[in-house]
Amino acid sequence: MTSYLQLTGISKTYGTFAALSKVDLAVDKGEFITFLGPSGSGKTTTLMIIAGFEKASTGDVLIDGGSITAMAPHERNIGIVFQNYGLFPHKRAIENVYFPLQMRGAARAEGLRKAAAMLDLVGLKDLGSRYPKELSGGQQQRVALARALVFEPSLLLLDEPLGALDKNLREQMQIEIKRIQRALGVTTVFVTHDQSEAMSMSDRIVVFDKGRIEQAATPLDIYHRPQTKFVAGFVGESNLIEAVVTDAGSRLATSPALGEIEYAPSETAAPGKPVMLMIRPEHIRLSRRPIEGRRNAAMKIETIVNYGDNALVIGNSSGVPMRVRVLGADVVILKEGDDCHISWMPDAVFPITA
Amino acid sequence: MNRLLLSIGVFAVIFIAAPLVIVVPMSFSNARSLQFPPPGYWLGYYQAYFTDMRWLRPTWNSIIIASGTTVLTMTLVVPATFALVRHRFAGKSFADLMLLMPLAVPHIVMAVGYYSFLGKLGIVQTHLGVIVAHTCLTVPIAFLVLSANLKGFDRTLERAAISLGASPWRTFIHITLPILKPGLIVSALFTFVQSFDETVVAIFISGRDAATLPRKMFDSIRQEADPVIAVVSTLLFLLVLAGIVAPPLWKALRTRMKAPALSSGDFQS
Ligand SMILES: Nc1ncnc2c1ncn2[C@@H]1O[C@H](COP(=O)(O)OP(=O)(O)OP(=O)(O)O)[C@@H](O)[C@H]1O
Ligand SMILES: [Mg+2]
Repeated sequence: MTSYLQLTGISKTYGTFAALSKVDLAVDKGEFITFLGPSGSGKTTTLMIIAGFEKASTGDVLIDGGSITAMAPHERNIGIVFQNYGLFPHKRAIENVYFPLQMRGAARAEGLRKAAAMLDLVGLKDLGSRYPKELSGGQQQRVALARALVFEPSLLLLDEPLGALDKNLREQMQIEIKRIQRALGVTTVFVTHDQSEAMSMSDRIVVFDKGRIEQAATPLDIYHRPQTKFVAGFVGESNLIEAVVTDAGSRLATSPALGEIEYAPSETAAPGKPVMLMIRPEHIRLSRRPIEGRRNAAMKIETIVNYGDNALVIGNSSGVPMRVRVLGADVVILKEGDDCHISWMPDAVFPITA
Repeated sequence: MNRLLLSIGVFAVIFIAAPLVIVVPMSFSNARSLQFPPPGYWLGYYQAYFTDMRWLRPTWNSIIIASGTTVLTMTLVVPATFALVRHRFAGKSFADLMLLMPLAVPHIVMAVGYYSFLGKLGIVQTHLGVIVAHTCLTVPIAFLVLSANLKGFDRTLERAAISLGASPWRTFIHITLPILKPGLIVSALFTFVQSFDETVVAIFISGRDAATLPRKMFDSIRQEADPVIAVVSTLLFLLVLAGIVAPPLWKALRTRMKAPALSSGDFQS
């Protein structure tokens, strides 16, 4: 089966600066894909190339197997929600939603009926006659979403649509967008640099860095099986320990600082290969004495960052900085400067070979 | 300190309003020449103005010239503003400078220049000649008003429209133009008033056939101090006032009329 949306070898250069280099991506029909990455990593550029507002220097964009690279942006039938919504200030909410139907030659009565139904779907049944400036940020967001969906686009693109909303509204809209996307089954590309947003909403996450795709995988894989050091460091908190594989059979690697460490099963680790061993802070246990049956190391506590229900304990283990997640109740007995032990199970150690 | 500022303010207002306080009553005066305060009141000079071809003809000339200037100015300025605000090209800052140049050159200097230049073209003392000269004077202001509007225009709106299936042309018609409409109207209104009001260039090049209203007033005050001048001044003042007051008034009225008519129910069912 071929994928619904395909990017093949997309590069984009501005002068001598490569904003995107050799981006390949395949998205299935109905999938919810999130582009995650630091500022300037090329997320918007990729989106604009799909939408047709930017021309790729090389490469091709295909929808349903056909290239759309030569199509003008207004012929592509792609719905976009912009970060600042882009609602037309001189049109009422309902007229904003009706606009794409009007452009497609819909009869006015029929078009307005469809637009009203779409406003209903996004939860704005009674606000159609308001002008954008008479709507709250969240309501404007919904109008923008309704407008981008009402013409049954082949693709929905959202560029940091929740960036301007406060935390509560943001979470509410995340759920809303997911619900509507599922209801309509529209293939969606969502851009954010908020990891928890990416984790909670996506079928798959595409992590960008410096104009390249670092990894495209499910949220769980991205978190637990990062393929590159960048992904491990960018997504969530992590401890990265430099080591060299010494015995692939019994899954042992040696770190100059911490000595021999056993790691979880891996296909890419080969003897003599340098690796980064990743251990998530919540997979490490902090204790006064070494714990039997686990890999132990001594650590001196340097800083404790309290989050209320949990805390991040930052310490130093033989010169390697280590972060440990500790639940609220345990924080009370810890002091900065304490000597203690950290321990983990081999399964918590994920080797990164790239 | 506050007292001082207040009295300066009051003086300024009086100073600005004084001509009106003098001119408006004089237009209803029954004196034979301009005289203040008027010895008595009647409407005779209004009647004189509306029946005398010596006044109506320049009025008509002014209307034609101001309208022509507005059309020509907008035809030039709208595309120029889009080009200069939205695109980068070689010679852009030079073009910017040349557009604004007329603001820096004294009108009398321009007038002398036009007199000989338009003479060579054979259009001095014609409507066309005055329109061309006035257009040079009005372009900078129209450009400034419009470019301020266009710079504030959020281009995401155009991208949004295009993504929704509107061709670039339909995007311009349905989105760009309506949103810029207030700016276009203000800039056209300024142009019209500026041309209608312009005197120096008009005196030099409008001649007898194309004489504008300000020119006629100038001639008249030198020769006979005809109180019709006060009538014309009053009418001009009302015209400009209407130009300033009408748009916001119209907007207020329109929203009041429309608001209840379009309740949410209209779009359902
Ligand atoms: N017109 C342009 N000229 C030159 N460089 C550009 C241009 N547009 C974008 N870039 C560069 O391309 C890179 C990618 O930009 P892009 O907007 O795609 O980043 P992004 O991942 O969306 O970042 P953010 O999270 O901040 O929105 C950036 O380094 C940016 O400076
Ligand atoms: Mg961006």
